Amino acid sequence: MALHFKIITPLRTVVDTEALSILLPASEGQMEVLPGHTDIITSVANGELVYRQAGQPETSLFVGGGFLQVESDYALLVTDTALAADEMDPDSITAAIELAKKDLRNSESVLSREEQVRLETLISKQLAMLEYRSSRRR
Amino acid sequence: MANLRDIKRRIKSVRNTSQITKAMQMVASAKMRRAQELALKGRAYISALANVLSHLQSAIQEGSSPLMQRREQGRTLVLVINTDKGLCGALNANLLREVLSRCPEDADYVTLGSKLRSTLSRLGRRVTHGFSVSDGMQEGELKPVFELLREGFEQGRYNRVIVAYQKFINVMVQRPQVAELLPVTPEELLQVAEQDELEDSDNSNFLLEPSPRELLGSILPLYVTNLLVQMVLEGKASEQSARMVAMKSATENAKSLIGELTLEYNKARQTQITNELLEITTAMKAME
Repeated sequence: MALHFKIITPLRTVVDTEALSILLPASEGQMEVLPGHTDIITSVANGELVYRQAGQPETSLFVGGGFLQVESDYALLVTDTALAADEMDPDSITAAIELAKKDLRNSESVLSREEQVRLETLISKQLAMLEYRSSRRR
Repeated sequence: MANLRDIKRRIKSVRNTSQITKAMQMVASAKMRRAQELALKGRAYISALANVLSHLQSAIQEGSSPLMQRREQGRTLVLVINTDKGLCGALNANLLREVLSRCPEDADYVTLGSKLRSTLSRLGRRVTHGFSVSDGMQEGELKPVFELLREGFEQGRYNRVIVAYQKFINVMVQRPQVAELLPVTPEELLQVAEQDELEDSDNSNFLLEPSPRELLGSILPLYVTNLLVQMVLEGKASEQSARMVAMKSATENAKSLIGELTLEYNKARQTQITNELLEITTAMKAME
């Protein structure tokens, strides 16, 4: 028994495979999907996703916010970011954080509430990416 | 009989033109490959999102999100995605024809791309805003456009947002499309979701986490934004393919023109030589 597991981002289909289990950061807490899981739709937070394939070591990815749909052993994750640790570039992440922080500081009064929220989520996402990367390095 | 030098000059100028069109064809085909890839990859993402959304539909009543509200009063907003540069065949003209026949005359028009902007206002349509995006579209470049559409819709100024764009079918075929972006309708979601090859929709009962309302509130704007992005990507892919095809046929035209002109040039040269020989022999005959 295995799950059909797919991760789709706007740029590509990152994963399209048969998986035995998927461990991921749902917005309501860590959750693991095994074959036979009940049908569910949930939002996904920033964090580490680990999936296991038959006869292969676990694969770990960073996912940034999105949605997971599980329906009769077909798990579909729709997200805007899905990267492995070695695909990340720490310098550009740090640069993006700095830029977003600067935007936030410089124009606190001018920015709309929405824009502020957007920048803050951007920063927290990039920070989560950095954290994930350093934890994988160890 | 055309002058030899004139023909030579024309051959040269046609050759120069063909070099330019050839170069433009190369550039367009390189850009096309990238734009095409983005457009095709984006389709999978959109249909995956629609798939998730269509399942939410069973749990949620219509009108529970501001982006799905149907209203009677309000105007129609038409977003026309055309190109910034010309030389891409009949692409913009075809789109314009579609827009004129399918969109109400009293609607507000917003253009993305500058080619059709002046045309529309010359035809008496009210163009309220004009935007343009670069070829390698950056994230966030569409944000002001999206904000404009969303605000106008949510504040009740518009009750319908329509997008006209060129859907990319393949390199030779682009189809002008007029699609409704807002309000989002359940039927439309189902239709897009069906493009996902792994679809087996039996609308079973899903567990929803966190609440259905929150889920819808976060997925729906994402869906609409990405749908708009996707339409722009389709437009870009269509533009580059149309330009490549147009430039290719221009290059070929130039080549056949050069062939014809060369033939004419050779004939003229031969005539000149014959004439000269004739003069010489006539002169010799006269001397005898």
